[in-house]
Amino acid sequence: MILDRTRPLFIRLLLLVVLVLVPPVAWIAYQAMGEFTRGLVPEMDKKAEAIGRDLELSIERAVGYGIPLDQLQGVDQFFAPVLAANPEIRYLAVTDRGGKVLFTEGAELNALNAIYGGVDFATDMEHSRKFALGSFIDLAQPLSIKGGRIGHIHVGMDQDYVRGRLQEILIDLGVVTLVALLVAVEILLFVVTFNITGPMRVVGTVMDRVRRGDFSCSAGVTSDDEVGRFVHGFNGAIRLADQLFRRLEAYMEEVKAAHFDAGVVEKVKDIESRVRFLFRFARNGQPEVVNEHQATDIRLPLFLFVFAEEISRSFMPLYIRDLYAPIPGLSPEMVMGLPIALFMLVIALASPSAALLANRLGARRVFLIGLVPATIGFVMSGLAFTVYDLIAWRVATALGYAFITMACQGYIAQVSQQRTRAQGLGVYVGAVLTASVCGTGIGGVLAERVGFRVTFLVAGVLTVITAVLIWRLLGSAQPVAEGPSPRKRDFLRLLRNWRFSALVAFAAIPAKIALTGFLFFLVPLTLNRNPSIDLGDMARMMMAYPVSVVLLSPLVARFADRVGWRAGLVAVGGLIGGAGLVLPAFWGEPVQAVQVAILLLGISHGLSASPQLAMIPDLCWTECRAIGQTNVLAFLRLAERIGSFAGPLLAAALLPLYGFEGAVAALGWVVLGMAVVFALLSFAYHAGPHIETEWGE
Amino acid sequence: MGQSSIAGGAGACLPPARPVRWSLARKVSLALLSILLSTLVVTAFFAYYKFESVYSAQVQSRYSFVVFTIKKKVEDSLNLGFALRQLRQVQEIIEREKSRDPQILAVEVYDYRGEVLFDTDRGAIGTKVSESLAEAIRSGMQQSFSVMDEDNLIVGLPLVNNLGKVEGGVVLRYPIAYVEKGVSGLLTQLLKSIAIALVAASVVAVAGLYVLFGGVGRKLGSMERAMGEVLSVGGQAIPENGGDSFEARFAEFVAKTRETIDHVKDATDEVGRLDRLM
Repeated sequence: MILDRTRPLFIRLLLLVVLVLVPPVAWIAYQAMGEFTRGLVPEMDKKAEAIGRDLELSIERAVGYGIPLDQLQGVDQFFAPVLAANPEIRYLAVTDRGGKVLFTEGAELNALNAIYGGVDFATDMEHSRKFALGSFIDLAQPLSIKGGRIGHIHVGMDQDYVRGRLQEILIDLGVVTLVALLVAVEILLFVVTFNITGPMRVVGTVMDRVRRGDFSCSAGVTSDDEVGRFVHGFNGAIRLADQLFRRLEAYMEEVKAAHFDAGVVEKVKDIESRVRFLFRFARNGQPEVVNEHQATDIRLPLFLFVFAEEISRSFMPLYIRDLYAPIPGLSPEMVMGLPIALFMLVIALASPSAALLANRLGARRVFLIGLVPATIGFVMSGLAFTVYDLIAWRVATALGYAFITMACQGYIAQVSQQRTRAQGLGVYVGAVLTASVCGTGIGGVLAERVGFRVTFLVAGVLTVITAVLIWRLLGSAQPVAEGPSPRKRDFLRLLRNWRFSALVAFAAIPAKIALTGFLFFLVPLTLNRNPSIDLGDMARMMMAYPVSVVLLSPLVARFADRVGWRAGLVAVGGLIGGAGLVLPAFWGEPVQAVQVAILLLGISHGLSASPQLAMIPDLCWTECRAIGQTNVLAFLRLAERIGSFAGPLLAAALLPLYGFEGAVAALGWVVLGMAVVFALLSFAYHAGPHIETEWGE
Repeated sequence: MGQSSIAGGAGACLPPARPVRWSLARKVSLALLSILLSTLVVTAFFAYYKFESVYSAQVQSRYSFVVFTIKKKVEDSLNLGFALRQLRQVQEIIEREKSRDPQILAVEVYDYRGEVLFDTDRGAIGTKVSESLAEAIRSGMQQSFSVMDEDNLIVGLPLVNNLGKVEGGVVLRYPIAYVEKGVSGLLTQLLKSIAIALVAASVVAVAGLYVLFGGVGRKLGSMERAMGEVLSVGGQAIPENGGDSFEARFAEFVAKTRETIDHVKDATDEVGRLDRLM
């Protein structure tokens, strides 16, 4: 275990976390399942009895009018609506006294005859009796006329129904466990880096300077644990050398000033020169305190904040629909899309100013400033009366979001050196994606239990915790001037680079249109039409997107680096995403089609996100040189927000024209069309540097 | 000239070690146990509420079916052309249904204006139902509805004649306590399970963390001791098995510090010797 490296320690800790979290949750789930079964099965029996009793009375009345049991007409039609209204009942059947099936609905007559053939219906059948028949539970109730038994009515319950309900609960618990594991990973990663590897890296930096004879610094670690004690001793060693040197220095000064023999003074000066040549000590006796900031410092607060934002992802359009109030000139669908679109627009508009502010005031301050509108936005969104005030509160949240994300990116840019910039951005992307998985998953399950409004309040509480973390833990690192900001002319020059413009217009923007228009807006509305899908199911289905991006993105990044086929990967990603959205037009089962479309969108973005960024230095190398790679990437991010803004509005415009599945497919055709254009253009991209721009210079 | 007090000293001493107030294992244990507790509580919360929703939906669907059977019978009579108020047999139907299930608190049939026409509690006949129930049938929705009324849960259906006109409604009341009792077993079970799981997992967590971070503490402690030893009596800080890259760098640090201290001391001795030359 190397002390200044996070990975070995973290992997051991992760194994321990899995060992500590998964078995207890599994055990609780197992215990709960037993209790569920014990509680649910009798209740299902009671319902089956109630249904059986009602059918029994109807049949007995008919037979009482003199119609023989085996000659009753229309029994199938009589049973059909009962089965349709009660999904847990799989079949209904009537047997005669000997157990021969006379009528059945929902199961094959021969199949039931084969099963009932071995059952003795003659004895002990005064009351209802339960049999386990294959995958069914058969509740048989006697049919009697004037005290004489004429047969039985059978209500067949599906054992899978109970299993299905239990499975739903297990899936919920699985989501909770996954989220708990991811949160634990984030927290423990923070604990390890903050308490061990971070301080040990600082020690490493100081150690390397001392190895070169430089004793002018000490490690700025003051914790009261083993690391703190070690650093205290470590700094003590440096201080000891420094003190000895101070005394020597004072002694030499004394000799130089007071000794009468010029030869001695010369020799002492030689000694002084030799010592100063070999070693370096602080000039003023105060060693420089080394405090190394790292990109990981910001990871946990960023994770919590994005978690808070993502918590409403799976139900936002439904919440907007609940608060719907007409806005003159806008269709109801457009009104529902407006808060999401404006949220994206405000982020796009506020981000450049937020970035400038982060450079000027420092990341910590801008993060804290951003938390104010964000917290107010979350809390007040939960208390909104109509869509009007919801829009205002979402705009406030978007403002906070822009400030916070820019502050994080600014902090990472400040603390990362050029060679570790990509690693730093990896920390950012990792925190955002993990938070997206957790927020989406837990948000839906939470909203299902406590409602939309309370879920927003939970988001507000999370932002307060974020503020406390930032306040307490993030060093008030002074901003580092990053050179002059690029001017508008520079961005226009960037747009004249056709490869960059094509990437923005036909790859980045359609990707965002699909994300906000389909996933954020249409998916909740489309799935909500199916009564068997609750909010938890919806959230779980939506989780397929961030999960596939998280899993695929790093693999694709490595693959793209090795193969260098970046434009191709972006094109393939776009085509997959567009094709996925078109699926509902051809798939008879809309829920399955939407689920597959979500998955394909995740695969699409997983394939294209990293290569898109990695292409930039090749496509825009002259622009990167002129205005900086960070600014080019920031412009790409800004430009793609056009798609984020347009997505919900486009989807809302398509909705009244084509209906829910139709709107998804129509949006898919738009995205697919743009992806095809990019795919064709990508053949002209070639590999290697951006030649045309070089010529144009 | 006065000679430096450090000149000629045998070895250098480090400052006394700082006491450990909050060990790493204790810090991480606190974080991990908080996560564990939160996870178990959230798991139990979701398990309980999911079961409660499934269970109460199951109970409600059973009573909805009972209401549906009453509705069918009443509507059959309505379709013969009788007014709802005139259907005397309805009283017998609802009383029979109530007698079949002790959990049913009441079954009521009321007209479009909300006046109770038939009720298993005969004393309530002629009274008005609550506004929410009256509103439920006036909304035009012909599906079942459910309302919560103090300690009761109510399921109901509108009564519709063969012309599609809503004539009134039928509702069935059952106690919330029935659902609560059904799920209370789970709550007790969950609390017990959480307590056991928490204790067991905490023991594993704390033991694991003490092993894991004890190793870190021991490693740091041995490095610190080696440093103290090298600085006071000499030698090298490289561990017996060679150590990792960090330990190797640390050994170089210690060696350099020792070398510096020795050099400074030698220089001090030399200055002292020169100082004494008269």
